[in-house]
Amino acid sequence: MRKLFLIIALLVLVIPTMAQDMSSCDIEPPDSSQTVNMIGWTYPIIDLYADELEACNAVDNIEVNTQLLDSGSAHDQLRLALGAGGTPPYDIIMVTQGDVESYVAEGWMMPLNDLIDKYEEEYDISDISGLADMTVDGSIYGLPMEQNTRHLFYRPDLLEKYMLEVPQTWDDVIAACGVLQEEDSIVIPFTTQLHAGWAWRIEFSDMVFAFGGQLLNDDNTPAFHSEAGVQALNKLVEIVDACMGAEGLTYSIDDSQIGIATGELAMAFTWASRAAAMDDPEFSDYVGQIEFAPAPRATADGLYGATGGTGAGLGIPADIDDDPELVFQVILEAMDVESQIRASSVGVITRNAVAAQADARYLPAVFDTINGGVEGQNMPAIGAVLNPVLDNWLPQIMTGDMSAAELLDAAADAYTTEATTQGFIEG
Amino acid sequence: MKRPTFALFVGPSVFVMTALMTLPLLASIVLGLHYITFRNLDAPVWFGLKNYVDVLSDREFWDSLEFTLIFIAATVPARMLLGLIFALLLDQIVRLRGLFIAAALVPFVLTPVVGTLIFRDMFDRGGPYWYWMQQIFDYRLFMSNTTVPLLIIFHNIWTATPFAMIVLFAGLQTLPQETLEAARVDGASWLRQLWHVAIPHLRSLFVFIALISIMDSYRVFDSVFVLTQQNAIYDAETIMYYNFQVALNYGRLGRANAMSVLTVLGIFVVLIPFLIMTYREQLEED
Repeated sequence: MRKLFLIIALLVLVIPTMAQDMSSCDIEPPDSSQTVNMIGWTYPIIDLYADELEACNAVDNIEVNTQLLDSGSAHDQLRLALGAGGTPPYDIIMVTQGDVESYVAEGWMMPLNDLIDKYEEEYDISDISGLADMTVDGSIYGLPMEQNTRHLFYRPDLLEKYMLEVPQTWDDVIAACGVLQEEDSIVIPFTTQLHAGWAWRIEFSDMVFAFGGQLLNDDNTPAFHSEAGVQALNKLVEIVDACMGAEGLTYSIDDSQIGIATGELAMAFTWASRAAAMDDPEFSDYVGQIEFAPAPRATADGLYGATGGTGAGLGIPADIDDDPELVFQVILEAMDVESQIRASSVGVITRNAVAAQADARYLPAVFDTINGGVEGQNMPAIGAVLNPVLDNWLPQIMTGDMSAAELLDAAADAYTTEATTQGFIEG
Repeated sequence: MKRPTFALFVGPSVFVMTALMTLPLLASIVLGLHYITFRNLDAPVWFGLKNYVDVLSDREFWDSLEFTLIFIAATVPARMLLGLIFALLLDQIVRLRGLFIAAALVPFVLTPVVGTLIFRDMFDRGGPYWYWMQQIFDYRLFMSNTTVPLLIIFHNIWTATPFAMIVLFAGLQTLPQETLEAARVDGASWLRQLWHVAIPHLRSLFVFIALISIMDSYRVFDSVFVLTQQNAIYDAETIMYYNFQVALNYGRLGRANAMSVLTVLGIFVVLIPFLIMTYREQLEED
């Protein structure tokens, strides 16, 4: 009995030490107590980064709290918290490239250039790829922790059963859907995410770029209602009609991940960050049976139809009451080489030094899409004015009340009025 | 009552009402006359009535008002009718009455967003109602521009009916037994007793519930926010939800304040008949 107690006592002492070794946080303890609150949205690699952030709880006088919600709720909560003014309740916020555009336009984020210069040597920050994605007008507002893009997930057994090739273009996807409708074991042949206004905007933007168009001209006047825009919106409607139907329109990112992993879907166009879960028996009924391909192209000779780059990063709100330098160090400790090596097992990391070591089987499709995909646009007017306009207008194409051209013209008018009022377009 | 004593009694509530209601309303009126976004919070630009003109000529504002009025028309009578039915049932039972009241109040006391999330999960893919619909009717329930508005209405009825039930149940406890006895002796059926004795007795409570319910329904936000997931395709925007979009998504704080002022006026207009009824009842009682 005494031996048993001794072993348990040793384990109690040793296990926390091992855990600390796994996720270290080498920060000088601050003189006074500091609470660092982080908010983001959950998926495997972010869960891991959250653990890395919380490793700094081991440092005296630092308390790190992480709050991970679903992506919609986190975005809503962030906008409410940051938009309310005053000192925000969060010191670290998870942001996408689009979020940075929006939040910077509202003055909600802190530029990090000075801190990056100060800590470059210690943390080798220039090794992190995607800093340009978090840059607006020369100021860097976030540190990329994960690269992301959207690409094709598919069930090779079903494609083989119906003698289908892996789709290369959106027209291939539409054609495959026509055949896969016969398959009784699935509910929907294919989904992409069109469940919310912002999801429509992402799909539409990438499709516009894939057809060779742009969202805005250099003078911030609208360009999305061009021929490329009309083609893009019509293509999305074609995809919905051929592949998704009314039920497919309700599939969120989570639903698509679950759908492909449980056999509801034959194919899905969704985020690379969800690919690692396909081989996790806890989440997937088809471990090893789901394959990955680059994003479909809009035209046979075009670029892959998805913008690639930074999926999510961590930034600091403009008016935090904690020491920004300490918060910055907490972020970088969670993104150091050791942390990213661990993160590479569940997602696409951002440090070049680590990328060479990652060997997840979905990575070729991801890197093909990132390297050969379409380029996005990064302009303050997009975040401040265009995004809400597109969020609001694009889903209405499914009502059938307007043609794609009419809808985009109406959206362009709405955008122009608002952008002119807000000073982005010279009146 | 002496004037200083009266002032002492009334003063605190006048102070609180001024601080929490009158001043914010005045601030809204002033802000509604300015062009303000998150970028010029410290230097608003005088805009005159342009925000009001913009709101009134905004198709989406009228669409959201239309859905808000449909929502009020559907939920307020349903709350009152179901509240009455449950109050009558509650009046019939003695054992475990407290337990039934507590159970009925659960949706009413739940945090609105949490309650709506639970509600959505029950009907969403994989939820129990979704599963039963599939098993029993071979029907795959999913969110659409039919189901989402209906769910928003059902959710409101589910959460708000307990309020009507409790108020009406309290009213039933004050029903004059002699009048009921007399009705019974005259051979009145249960339904006639209800129609001719109970409902007239509860009339002022119905007006009170209607007043509160209309104000509540006009301000509905949480359930719309959660159930639509900000997707315009569901065609279920209410005034408050659209106000939120204008303020936070578009960053047009001045216009959002103008919309708030118009909303207050709208609530007042809808309430006028009920206020007149209440006033007349007071006169009758006096």
